[in-house]
Amino acid sequence: MQGPVPVESGALTTRSGRDIALNAVLERLAPGRVPERPDTPDLHVTALRRIPAVSARYAPFPSALDARLTRALGSRGISDLYSHQAEGIEHSLALRNVVVITPTASGKTLCYNAPVLSTILQDPSSRALYLFPTKALAQDQLAELQVMCETIARDSGDQVGVFTYDGDTPQDARRAIRARAHIVLSNPDMVHSGILPHHPRWAKLFENLKYVVIDELHAYRGVFGSHLCNVLRRLRRICRHYGSSPAFICSSATIANPRELAERLTEQRFEVVEKSGAPRGEKFFVFVNPPVINHQLGIRRSYLGETRRIASEFLKRNLQLIVFAQSRLSTEILTTYLKDDFEDVPGAPERIRGYRGGYLPLRRREIEKGLREGVVRAVVSTNALELGVDIGALDVSVMAGYPGTIAATWQRAGRAGRRAGRSAAVMVASSAPIDQFVVRNPSYFFEASPERALIDPDNLHILVDHVKCAAFELPFAGDETFGRVDVQEVLGLLAEQGLVHRSGEESRPDARWSWTNESYPADAVSLRSVSSDNFVVVDTTGEPHVIGETDFTSGPATLHPKAIYMVEGKLYQVDRLDFDGRKAFVRAVDCDYYTDAITYTRVTSLDTFEQDPVSGAAHGEAHVVSRVVGFKKIKFYTNENVGSGELDLPEQQMHTTSYVLTIPESVLASLPYAADDRRDGIVGLSFAMRQVAQLLLMCDRHDVGISIDSEGDSENPAEPAVTRARIFVYDNYPGGIGFSAPLYRMHRELIETTHRLIAECDCENGCPGCVGPVGDTGLLAKAVALRMLGLLLELGTEAKTA
Amino acid sequence: MSSLRDRLREVIKSADVRLKPDATAPAATPTAVASGFSRTFDNPEALLGGEWRDGSFIVERHAPPSSRCGRTTIGELAARLQTSVHEAPLICGGAPAHMPFVFFDLETTGLSGGAGTQAFLVGSGRFDDDGGFTTRQHLLVRHGDEDAMLHAVADDLRRAGALVSFNGKSFDAPVLESRYLFHRLDWVASEQPHIDVLHPARRFWKEDECSLVVLEQQVLGTWREEDVPGFEIPSRYFQFVRSGDARPLAAVLEHNRRDLIALAGLTSRLLEIIAGGPDWVENAREALALGHVYARARDTGRAIDAFERVLTLGAKKAGRRAAELRADALRSLALSYRRDRQYDKAARCWIALIEAGCTEHVEREAIEALAIHHEHRARDLVSAKAFAAENVARTSACLAPAKATGEAQRRLARIERKISEADRLGGLLG
Repeated sequence: MQGPVPVESGALTTRSGRDIALNAVLERLAPGRVPERPDTPDLHVTALRRIPAVSARYAPFPSALDARLTRALGSRGISDLYSHQAEGIEHSLALRNVVVITPTASGKTLCYNAPVLSTILQDPSSRALYLFPTKALAQDQLAELQVMCETIARDSGDQVGVFTYDGDTPQDARRAIRARAHIVLSNPDMVHSGILPHHPRWAKLFENLKYVVIDELHAYRGVFGSHLCNVLRRLRRICRHYGSSPAFICSSATIANPRELAERLTEQRFEVVEKSGAPRGEKFFVFVNPPVINHQLGIRRSYLGETRRIASEFLKRNLQLIVFAQSRLSTEILTTYLKDDFEDVPGAPERIRGYRGGYLPLRRREIEKGLREGVVRAVVSTNALELGVDIGALDVSVMAGYPGTIAATWQRAGRAGRRAGRSAAVMVASSAPIDQFVVRNPSYFFEASPERALIDPDNLHILVDHVKCAAFELPFAGDETFGRVDVQEVLGLLAEQGLVHRSGEESRPDARWSWTNESYPADAVSLRSVSSDNFVVVDTTGEPHVIGETDFTSGPATLHPKAIYMVEGKLYQVDRLDFDGRKAFVRAVDCDYYTDAITYTRVTSLDTFEQDPVSGAAHGEAHVVSRVVGFKKIKFYTNENVGSGELDLPEQQMHTTSYVLTIPESVLASLPYAADDRRDGIVGLSFAMRQVAQLLLMCDRHDVGISIDSEGDSENPAEPAVTRARIFVYDNYPGGIGFSAPLYRMHRELIETTHRLIAECDCENGCPGCVGPVGDTGLLAKAVALRMLGLLLELGTEAKTA
Repeated sequence: MSSLRDRLREVIKSADVRLKPDATAPAATPTAVASGFSRTFDNPEALLGGEWRDGSFIVERHAPPSSRCGRTTIGELAARLQTSVHEAPLICGGAPAHMPFVFFDLETTGLSGGAGTQAFLVGSGRFDDDGGFTTRQHLLVRHGDEDAMLHAVADDLRRAGALVSFNGKSFDAPVLESRYLFHRLDWVASEQPHIDVLHPARRFWKEDECSLVVLEQQVLGTWREEDVPGFEIPSRYFQFVRSGDARPLAAVLEHNRRDLIALAGLTSRLLEIIAGGPDWVENAREALALGHVYARARDTGRAIDAFERVLTLGAKKAGRRAAELRADALRSLALSYRRDRQYDKAARCWIALIEAGCTEHVEREAIEALAIHHEHRARDLVSAKAFAAENVARTSACLAPAKATGEAQRRLARIERKISEADRLGGLLG
C-alpha cells in the first residue's frame, strides 16, 4: 500500500481528475474489464455493475403556469422543465393529487414549488402548507424558495410570503407569520401540536388552503407514517370545517408502492409520476463480501474493517465520500478508525466527521456546511443523512452493511453522484444472513422491485391518541367517522374516562362530543415514537454540560452504567444512569474497547387473529417483556470479547402484534436428533428467519424482534424433550405497526427464502451468515434447521395436493 | 379474539396515566343522580339567579354604593376612579382610555389555550352612575350556546371606553379572541384600550405571588371566606356539563364576581395614586413605581418628584431591598434630570449612585455618563479623561460588546486629543 496522500479540500476540482481517481480505486478493488462484468458470488467483489449515464428529457412549461413565474424561472436560467416536472405540475394545477417519484438531484422541489407559486400569483389569497420530516429539510427549502420569491418580486413586484413555522420559531414572530405567510414550511410534529390545536388562529390558512406538500413521503412508514396519517385525518377535518379541500403534492424516493402509501396516508386518490426526465452521470455499484478467514467457523473478515480500508482508498485519492453505518455505535467506531488512518496527516482528522441523530443541532449544521463547501472530506453517518439534507453532491457512498432495504440502499447510493461525471456506491456486506443473501444474489437487489412501505394508522394506541387531539380541536358529530375503527365507540369509552361529553342523543348527527378535560392532549403524543420520552447525556468531566440525547427505548441499552458512549469517536463512560430523571452522567475516558448490551426478551401470546392449522403459522396479539441484563466489552479492531458485566435495570413491557410459527409436534417428533440438537436447530432457524422477515417486510432492524418459546415434556423435567416450539416475529412497537398480518400472508415465502438462505451458504456447520456462529448455536444447528424447514415446506405441499 | 371494546379499554386505560386525572370523572357521579338534576339543567336560573337573553344565559348582580369593600366602600371606589380617570392613558401605553371602564375576567376549561380551551364564564363589571357596581356574567350552559354567548359578550365589551383585566393581555384576551375566531366572528376588543392591571400591580405592590386574592388583602384589606381555589374551577364546570347539576357553579360565579370587584378596587387605587402624586404613596416602593409610570409617559417633572420621594421615604431604611430601591431611584432620577436638561443634578445623582454602591453594569453606565457629562457639559477635560479611562478599563474587563469597547476607546482618544490641543493653545496664548 502506498503512503497516505494529504487530504486537502478542493484539490480535485476538475471532472476528469475525479473520474481518473475513481477509476483507479475501482481498478484496485476489482481488476479487469469494468463494463458488463458478470457477477461472481464467491469472490471478494461479488458484483460491479455500471449504471449508464442518462440524458435529460425536457418538456415545455405547461401553459397554465403563471407567466410571472415562468419569467422568474427564465431569469434564473430555467427555460425548460424535465418531463416528470411538467407532468407533475400539470396534475397539480388541475388540482389532482399527485405523487412524484424522484431520484436525488432531479429537481423535485420545482414539482411542488411551481404549481404552488403559480396559484398564489394568480390568487394571492391562496395558501399552501409544506411538510418535511425534519426541521433541517424545511430550512433548506426556505432558502431555495426565498431566492425564487425575490426573483419574482424584482421581476413583477408580487410579494409571496414564505416562512418556516416550527419549534424554533420565536413566540413573538408567530402572529406575524400567521398573518403574512402564503407558504408555511413546517413538519408533522408542529402541525400536530402547534397548528391544528390552534386552528382558529390559522383560520386564514385553513380557509384558503389550496395545497398540502408532503416531501420525502417514503420517510413516513411504520410508527411515524401511522401517526402522520392520523394528523392528516385531523387536518382534513379542520379543512372541511373551514370549507377548503386542498390537493396533495407528494414527492418520494423509489419504493414499490408510492401510490398505495400516498393513498393510505391521505385517504385520497392519487396520480403517480414515475419516469424521471432528469439527467444522471454514470455510476458504478460495487458489492463487496469480506473474505472468509476461517472456513470451518465460516467467519469473515470484519465488515467494518473492510469498509474502513475501502473508504481510506477513496479518501487518499481525495474523493469526497460519505460512509453509512448501521447503528450509532458503528458510526462512532468507523469515525474513530478513519481518523486513526489519517492521524499523521496534519489537519486531516478534522476533515473526517461523524454524524448521527443525538448530536446537537449546531454541530450537525456545521458538518452539513463543511460537506457542501468541500472542507469536510468524509462523513460517517447513520441513516440521518439518508434523507434530503443538503450536503451537496459527493463522489462516493460507502455502505458498511446492507441498509436493510432496497429502497434505502438506492437512497444512500444516491448521496453520491452528480448530473455529469462518475460516481460510485459500494456496499460492504456484514456477516448477517440478510447481507450475505443480498451480496451473494446481486440480481435480487438489482432486478427486484424495491419494498413496500407499510403503515397501520388504525393501530389503537395511535388512533385513540389522535381522536383525543381531534376532539380537542373540534367536537365530533354523532355520525362522524375517523379512520376505519368505529370512532363513536372510541368516544364512548373516552366519555367513561371523563375526557369527552356527549350532548344530544346517541348516534344522532346533531349529537356533539366535546372535550371536557383541562389537558392539552397533543402534548402527550409524540409522532416519532409511542412515548415522547428521552434520556439526555451529561458530560461531567469538567463543568457539566449536555452532549447528546437518546430515545427512551434505546436508553437502557446504550446508557446503562459502565457503558461506553461515543460522540464523534470520543469515548465516555457512563458513571450513573438516573432512570427516573432520564439522565445519564458520563465522563471522558481513554480505553480500547466499547460495550454491547445483552437484552433478554420474553414473549407470550395473548390472542390469535388468524391461523393456518396446516402450516402452523398465525398472527395475533402478544405481550413482550424485555430487560437489559448485562453487557459485553468488545475490543476495537480485533472485536475480541474482553469482559462482561451484569446489570439490574427496570423491565420494559409492551403489548404488540406478532407473527407466530408453531412448529408442529409431528415435525419435531420426526427429527432424528437429540433434544439439545433440536433446540439448537430452532435457535438457528429463527436466527435466519428474523433476517429474512426483515428482508421481506422492508423494515429496519429495530422494527421487528424475535423470540422463541419452547415447551418441554413436563413429565420428564430432568431431560426435557422439546415437544412444541413457537417462534415469534413481533412488531417492536406498542400496539404493533402492521408487519404481522403481511408476514403471516408471506409465510410460505418466508420459509422458502429462509431455506434457500441456509442451503446456499457454503459453510460447514453454520456461520454468522446463516444460522449464526457455531459457537453460539452448536454443531448440528444448520443440519437440524434445514431438515426442519424441509419438513415445514412439505406440510404446505401436502396440504395443497390433498 | 378480543372485541374492539375490550382492546380499546386496555389502550385507553394505559394511556390515561399521561393525562391529568379528573376528580369529577363520571364514575363519581352516578347516572341516576345525574338524571335527577335534569330539571336544574333546564332551569339553572333558579339556582344561579340568572336569566336567558337572546339565547345566552346571564347572571346580573348589583352592589349598591354603600356596600363595603375592605377598608372602604364601593361608592368611594367609584368616586376616586371618576376623579382620576384622566390619568388612565399612563398605564395603558398611551391609548385613549376613558369611561366607562369594563372590567372583565374569564373562567376557562383549561390554561393551555387552543381550540379545546373554552371560556365557560365571561364576567364583566362596571361602575353605575349612582356609584354602585354591576356585574354581568355570561355562562355557557350548553355547548351549542357559545355563539349566542359571544354575541352577548361582544355587546357588553363594545361599549367600553377601556377594558380592564388582570393578566388579560396574556391570557383572557387571547383565549376569548380564539373563541371568536373559532366561530368566525369579529373580535371586538382588538382596537380597544386595554389596561392590564397585573403589570403595574407587580411594580407597585408585589413582585411574586402577585394574585388578585393576595393583592386585595394587602391593598384593599378585603378577605374572602370560602373561596373556590382556582385549580378546582374547570372540574366543577365539567361536573355541571356531565350531570346538569348547577350547584357546584354557584361558588365559581361568586369567585368570579369577587375577582371583578377586587380588580375594580385595585384599578381605582392605582389611578388614585397616579393622579394624587408622590404625596399619596404609602412607601418607597410605591413611589418608585409611580416615578416609572410618569417617566414612561415622559412626564419628567412629576417623575423627578416621585423619584426624589423614594429617597426621602427610604433614606434611613436598612437592608438589601431598600438599597436596591435607592439605587433604582438614583439612576432613574439621573436619567430624568438629564432629559430635563438639569445636567449638574444628573451628574450629582450618578456620583451618589457610585458612592452608594450599585451593580457593576449600572456603575459602568454611571461612569460613562459622567465621562460624557464632563467632556460636553461641564467641559472639565481632566475629570472627563479620568472617567473615560475608567470606562475603557471597565468595558474591556467585563467583555462588553465590541461596539461599547470601541466607543469608550474613541472617547478617551478624543478627550486626550482635546487636552493636548488645549495645552498647545494654552501654551501659545500663555
